[in-house]
Amino acid sequence: MLNKTKTRPHLAESCIAGKIKKVFLSLFLVMISSSMTFAQLQLNGAGATFPYVIYMKWFDEYKKETGIQFNYQSIGSGGGIRQIIEGTVDFGASDGPMSDQQLKEALQKRGTEILHIPTVMGAVVVSYNLPGVGKGLNLDGSVLADIFLGKITKWNDKRIKAMNPNKNLPDRYIVVAHRSDGSGTTYIFTDYLSKVSKTWETKVGRGTSVSWPVGLGGKGNEGVAGLIKQTEGSIGYVELAYAVQNNIFYASMKNRAGNFIEPTFNSVTAAAEGASKNMPKDLRVSITNAEGKNSYPISGFTWLLIYKDMKDASKATAMVKFLNWAMEKGQSFATSLYYAPLPKEVVKLCKSKIAVITSGGKKINLK
Amino acid sequence: MEKELATFKFRLWRRKITNFVMMGLTVVAVLVAIIPLIFIFYYTISKGITYLNLDFFIQMPKPVGESGGGMANAIVGTLILIGIGGGIGIPVGIMAGTYLSEFGNNKFGSLVRFLTDVLSGVPSIVVGVVAYTLVVVPMKHFSALAGGIALAILMIPTITRTTEEIIKLVPHSLREAGLALGIPKWKTTLLIVLKTAWKGIATGILLGLSRAAGETAPLLFTALGNRFWSTSIFQPIASLTVYIYDYAKAPFEDWNNQAWTAALVLILLISLLSLLFKILTRSKYKTNR
Repeated sequence: MLNKTKTRPHLAESCIAGKIKKVFLSLFLVMISSSMTFAQLQLNGAGATFPYVIYMKWFDEYKKETGIQFNYQSIGSGGGIRQIIEGTVDFGASDGPMSDQQLKEALQKRGTEILHIPTVMGAVVVSYNLPGVGKGLNLDGSVLADIFLGKITKWNDKRIKAMNPNKNLPDRYIVVAHRSDGSGTTYIFTDYLSKVSKTWETKVGRGTSVSWPVGLGGKGNEGVAGLIKQTEGSIGYVELAYAVQNNIFYASMKNRAGNFIEPTFNSVTAAAEGASKNMPKDLRVSITNAEGKNSYPISGFTWLLIYKDMKDASKATAMVKFLNWAMEKGQSFATSLYYAPLPKEVVKLCKSKIAVITSGGKKINLK
Repeated sequence: MEKELATFKFRLWRRKITNFVMMGLTVVAVLVAIIPLIFIFYYTISKGITYLNLDFFIQMPKPVGESGGGMANAIVGTLILIGIGGGIGIPVGIMAGTYLSEFGNNKFGSLVRFLTDVLSGVPSIVVGVVAYTLVVVPMKHFSALAGGIALAILMIPTITRTTEEIIKLVPHSLREAGLALGIPKWKTTLLIVLKTAWKGIATGILLGLSRAAGETAPLLFTALGNRFWSTSIFQPIASLTVYIYDYAKAPFEDWNNQAWTAALVLILLISLLSLLFKILTRSKYKTNR
């Protein structure tokens, strides 16, 4: 054998090729047979990018505890709403509530209502890059709106100065940074500006993407954070986690009660407490510019979108069990990942909402 | 005599200098062409190497806050996706290419050729949306199958056109020899023409597969992605590219680094693929070319 290969090398080569072919073939067969095996119970969901991190933490933990797989992919709030209407997912997720028209469309197409279950809360922070001015710049809603409208163009504008008497504000133009893509973060931010500024509401309005009067666009939170980091004299809005991760400063915002509030988990939860007194029944509520002494004004819920009636009984049971888990144990993971946990009153409201989920019209048996 | 020698020397030097200058320019052009590649390799290797270990290949992704973990599901997912894509795209591409070169000298042939060229220019995200509408919405489920179909659509034009061009290079005398022996045309095409052109076709397949392996956009709305181990073709499936997309923009340094490693693994995977093709298509008989 050895001799042969020495004198006729081409034979050895074809031998290798043959072996590789065999390996390929067997790999292929293994792949096919493994895909035939019975899959574990898995629920698929898609939607908002903002809660992606905590949802992944939850679903990993939940799998460890129960073995049930919740697969979540962040494709954006708009995408999540679209998928739940089309019925291509078992659950959706969004940072902005579905509109009445979307709910009607879903009811028509899917034959069941869609429930909004708030899961955690987040803060949209106003970040800035201003050399010589440290952290803790103070701003209020009307000034912020005028900056984003292009009315205030310099950092040493007297209205900004009035709120920051101890800061040495430079004579420098303000560079506005905003999101270029559709986003729940933008919804929360523009919803706030619409509440505090009539001009903003009529000229620009609220939405997941709006036509910005001034400024540079960045894709995603990471894009805006990058813009702020690179551009001196810039201001923009990002989620809290991104500001912390990128080591950029963020402003304290003046709330309804007239206090300047730094965005923290407590001040976001306080905003939800302020809003929970008059929560609507479907839990679709905005908590921007909320009441309360310590409320941070640019806060928002993020929701899971769930079918009220799920066809598959085992999936429905898993969903309900998971939602209850998220309301209890799940909340404890929030702060370490830069999310604010739900206040107790809201958890109570959510649980009563979860209890109405049915499968094929029948109540879910949790035992 | 002396004068002639001087002119001769002058001409010789002129030629030598021209040669040298032109040679230099070609070398510069080659460098310019490969420098981006070198940079890509340099950055992905230098940034990705820190997380490249056995765990990356055999472990599942870890949740936020726990370092380590791997992307075993994404590596297998990418292989399954290009497997499905290739399973559909390769036969269709080869057959279409064979048709075009052997039987396609008519109006229908030029129409197909034109449409293939148009298809190869369609942005991959559009192909993803098409697969979403055709597969995901009717099936009411994101699935590896939908992702594979999207990748197959992307592969088909590349494979079709390469196959056609390569088969055209097969000398006519070979076909005539086959036909002269009384072999039917289909047999000649299958056993002589395709066999002769196999090496070139394999290159086309490789190009198609590599392009598919590196695609993110068509997978976002078809294969979706999966945090867990899944090999079922009817469930959403993980892929390296979608992981890179997600991890690169996350606000966690750990994940950003893993995205680099995933990029490195993807490059290695494609290199391995092309190596395998090289071995597979190596000639059985030593030629002295």
